[in-house]
Amino acid sequence: MLQGRITASVGLNVAKLQDEVCRHLASILVDNAPAKWLQQQDLTFLVGEEERAEEEAFEDGLVAERLKEDVLEQKGRLQRPVAKDVQPPDPDIIRVLRGHQQPITCLVISPDDKFIFSAAKDCSIIKWEVESGKRLCVVPRGKKGTEEQQAGHTAHILCMAISSDGKYLATGDRNKLIMIWEAATCKHLYKFTGHRDAVSGLSFQKGTHQLYSASHDRSVKVWNVAENAYIETLFGHQDVITGLDSLSRECCVTSGGRDGTVRIWKIPEESQLVFYGHQGSIDCIQLINEEHMVSGADDGSVALWGLTKKKPLAVVRQAHGTHGSHSLQQPYWISAVAALLNSDLVATGSHSANVKLWKSGEGFRKLEPLFDIPVVGFVNSLKFSAAGDFLVAGLGQEHRLGRWWRIKEAKNSICIIPLKRKAGVADSS
Amino acid sequence: MWGCRVGSASRSCLLHIPSSLSLPDLSYVSFEELLQMQNGMGMRTHRVTAGKKTAHPAPSRVFSFRPLEMSAKKRVPFLRRVVPVTKKVGRDPRFDDLSGEYNPEIFLKTYGFLDSIKKREKEMVQKQLKKCRNSQAVLTGGLELSLKRQQRELAQQGKKPFYLKKSEKRKLELAEKYAELKRSGKLESFLSKKRKRNAIKDKRRLPSQKSL
Repeated sequence: MLQGRITASVGLNVAKLQDEVCRHLASILVDNAPAKWLQQQDLTFLVGEEERAEEEAFEDGLVAERLKEDVLEQKGRLQRPVAKDVQPPDPDIIRVLRGHQQPITCLVISPDDKFIFSAAKDCSIIKWEVESGKRLCVVPRGKKGTEEQQAGHTAHILCMAISSDGKYLATGDRNKLIMIWEAATCKHLYKFTGHRDAVSGLSFQKGTHQLYSASHDRSVKVWNVAENAYIETLFGHQDVITGLDSLSRECCVTSGGRDGTVRIWKIPEESQLVFYGHQGSIDCIQLINEEHMVSGADDGSVALWGLTKKKPLAVVRQAHGTHGSHSLQQPYWISAVAALLNSDLVATGSHSANVKLWKSGEGFRKLEPLFDIPVVGFVNSLKFSAAGDFLVAGLGQEHRLGRWWRIKEAKNSICIIPLKRKAGVADSS
Repeated sequence: MWGCRVGSASRSCLLHIPSSLSLPDLSYVSFEELLQMQNGMGMRTHRVTAGKKTAHPAPSRVFSFRPLEMSAKKRVPFLRRVVPVTKKVGRDPRFDDLSGEYNPEIFLKTYGFLDSIKKREKEMVQKQLKKCRNSQAVLTGGLELSLKRQQRELAQQGKKPFYLKKSEKRKLELAEKYAELKRSGKLESFLSKKRKRNAIKDKRRLPSQKSL
């Protein structure tokens, strides 16, 4: 596909060269010929030529732009300037979908942006339709006797992942199990055992059916869902792993909780890159593009990381402020971070009654606040849609990992927040 | 075996070779002969003589900001160091430069307080010794000594030495105690205290109000 594009651009260049020559000759003619002769000639072709040349230059520019983007995406440094066009949404267009009885712990959006899968502390999974807000499938908690007939989780579901073709859904719970479901029908397919403690992170490699899982037993396991097989285990973390994410490379990134490290696992080379410099327990992590990621910690700090530097590129301390009485001011824990793929828009969530949107600066070296979206409760999960049209937040009355606080006014629900762009901007995605 | 061109990437060496040394070109040597050479020389020397001139650059300061790369297959032990604990290094002030030169005047001035502490301690210990001397510890010692003297006399005379039972020894000690108390006049108070203590102990054995 790339080769086709190159030849197309080369072809255009050749045509452009011909036009250039023609135009040059025409201009010489116009300059040197006697005025009377010129008046008699029909020179409309010259104007037409210019228009066509402009059009072609425009197309050529578009193709070049697209090629450049592809190259940057492959290298992992693509950063589309989307953040400056995003506007704060009206509170009335935020949709709240209720269905879970207990706080939502995690959610995923299907790659075609049509469905949302959410899981809660009541061990159930619900498939929602984005447009109508209806509940399509409900997978209730598993009962003791009926494990064969009705498969379901029996402990809190901590993480979920969906494959990039929308075929498989994977969920991990506190009972060391990973369950694989068919996304379209919510039918139970496989059960992966092997972890020795709660499964806290799951992610599919984009474009494949390879699943990475991270657990509280400090190991990362690689599975192949299509073949129902376990591949290998990777070690290195010194404390429970709190989050995991991956893109199309055969690499995944994990956040290590109290050991204060973020690690990139290079699976084919069986090695890891260790990043540190974050204070507090790192609780959530997401990849922005192949070479940059954003993480949040329980001391309120949000950090942007790049693959070439062991310390974060940008850190914002106490991103959501502090709470508590006069002498006991504690920073709000960052419970969820999300980033729009290959762009500069970052969202963070805590229990400070709002979701904050940030703009990452040039080369991800700065993080500036954009605006807040008011929500009530603990933001346990945040996900951007693939096209960047909306942001989904999973809310609960409690933190997804425990019951340190309880916000009575909050409703256990998922919030769909549409993100408006400024008018007159063409969406290049 | 078929001769083939061996890729130079597989022969990178880790030592710096001086540029004056000319290296043989092993590109067109067959695999079998290469293996024979390796087995004869050993891997490291083979790499040195047959590898490229370029060596891996030593990790310079420029790369200290890059993330650390480690193997992902080594298991991490369960117990880990959370707080760095440093070993306390003891210093001998006699041989440490930090203490400076010995100056008797300054030393006596600054550490003169230790003498007063020593004196106080000596007085306290002497007092305690006085107390102890008058207490039973000496008496029981006397009792034992007298017993031992008795045994020795009997043994000398040829008779078999006899040893008192523990209960007999305790009886004798009790008798001595009573005699001492009577002498000093504290017998009455001692007996009353003993009676009180026994009364309390017996009360515990009786059925209490709660059990009714």
